[in-house]
Amino acid sequence: MTTESSMKDAFAKYTDYLNGLNEKRERVVKASRDITINSKKVIFQVHRISKHNKEEVLQKAEKDLATVTDQYISRLVRELQGTDFWKLRRAYSPGVQEYVEAATFCKFCRTGTLLNLDEMNATLLPLSDPSLEPLQINVLDYLLGLADLTGELMRLAIGRISDGELDFAKKICEFVREIYRELTLVVPFMDDSHDMKSKMDTMLQSVMKIENGIVSTVFLHLTMTKNVINVFNLMLWNVATDWNIRKN
Amino acid sequence: MNMKSAFRNVYCTLFRSLYPNPNLPSNFLPRRLTLLIPPSPPSIRAQTFRSLSPTHSSASMPGGEAHAAPLLEKQFEDFRAQLEESGTLRERIRTVVMEIESTTRLIHSSLLLVHQSRSTPEVLEKPLAQIGVLKELYNRLAKIVLESPGQYYRYHGDWKTETQTVVSLLAFMHWLETGALLLHTEAKEKLGLNDSEFGLDVEDYLVGICFMSKELPRYVVNQVTAGDYDCPRKVLKFLTDLHAGFRMLNLRNDFLRKTFDGMLLIVTILLDVSLFLSSFNPCKPHNFSYYFCIPFA
Repeated sequence: MTTESSMKDAFAKYTDYLNGLNEKRERVVKASRDITINSKKVIFQVHRISKHNKEEVLQKAEKDLATVTDQYISRLVRELQGTDFWKLRRAYSPGVQEYVEAATFCKFCRTGTLLNLDEMNATLLPLSDPSLEPLQINVLDYLLGLADLTGELMRLAIGRISDGELDFAKKICEFVREIYRELTLVVPFMDDSHDMKSKMDTMLQSVMKIENGIVSTVFLHLTMTKNVINVFNLMLWNVATDWNIRKN
Repeated sequence: MNMKSAFRNVYCTLFRSLYPNPNLPSNFLPRRLTLLIPPSPPSIRAQTFRSLSPTHSSASMPGGEAHAAPLLEKQFEDFRAQLEESGTLRERIRTVVMEIESTTRLIHSSLLLVHQSRSTPEVLEKPLAQIGVLKELYNRLAKIVLESPGQYYRYHGDWKTETQTVVSLLAFMHWLETGALLLHTEAKEKLGLNDSEFGLDVEDYLVGICFMSKELPRYVVNQVTAGDYDCPRKVLKFLTDLHAGFRMLNLRNDFLRKTFDGMLLIVTILLDVSLFLSSFNPCKPHNFSYYFCIPFA
């Protein structure tokens, strides 16, 4: 009888523990999903950039990003506060990756540089209660976010090329190449590198797409000018032969 | 027409730049196209890469291009160092975990003797002595993991399965000894994990308990063979209680749930066994065992 009741008590404890954990995980997943949706919106806003509206588009994107940080990231921080970030990492990782993507994307379009992990984590510090251990984005999520960033940059670069901003596209190309090169050295050491390896393949494809885009426009310009010269030569030749025929 | 030729043109050049030295005959590229690109690579190069120089591109983008590259490189170097460090930590964890695994194999093999109609205290003697070894190994593991505080769950996957097996063996031994369930706190105590930050995950504990219940049907069969007819009833009582306990949990659709579903099957089998036993009263245990060999074969 005593063993039975002690078993019941023990299982009641486990039930409380599991209930609490599952509810928390569910809330974290929801927060993560909200972060994903709203970060995606920021990314789409940045994609609306063009030659003439750069300033206003980026201003709006930065404002949106600040909203994501203040509303949704802070909710995640509140949920996770004081607990083990690694235990629930799977639940919030997708959202954080998307947020990293959005933040670095904005920063790149503004300054042409990469937003560091430390800088990013510094912006998250004020969101949490100083007495508790604050939420810090871990290296793995940051790197996974960067890998996704290159896909967005590829789209941006193709857009810029078709818009005639070849210099901007070249700049993006340089940047993406640099990230790809650096990541090749880091990826083998990552915890679950399987996910990252497939991302690396996609990344290489993105880099090549940008390079091909740039090269094709360069050659398009080149052959066009060459053809103009050819046509001009032909005209001259025609005129000359015409003149020769007339002369004869 | 103009566009088309331009693109083909580009394609060929790309092809060349991607495969700088292809083992193809020189007339692989159509002659017409090579004509389109006259032998003037310097000018092409100049036009393609001129604007890549920092002075030119910084005009279109504000911000210090000059500082960007080294900073970026620096950050990635830091990452590499950090990740390499966690990699070596993981290696060290794995060596300890491998030792834990070999100890559990040892315990398991000596526990198998329980099916060969030996007396329980005799069987338990050897594995009980191994608990001390396990405790020592978990102590070492805890020390390694606590070197980077707050990251227990980062490396948790490396010792999860082994710990589940450890719990199942400990619980089986405990049950053989006392006939009661090994509670979470007791399991922690046995492994010496009760007062450190390195704990025993509740889910791991529960999965281990489920594993343990899988060993019971075989035990029952062999006990009955050995003449202990009271055993099925005892085991069934224990398992029904345990099952009732598990049903109190709100499980997610995960590994624990699947393992738990397996336990339901075991309870049903045991129910059949005790029904069978209560309806027939076997006088010859050896004949009787024949019936049980089939479902568990």
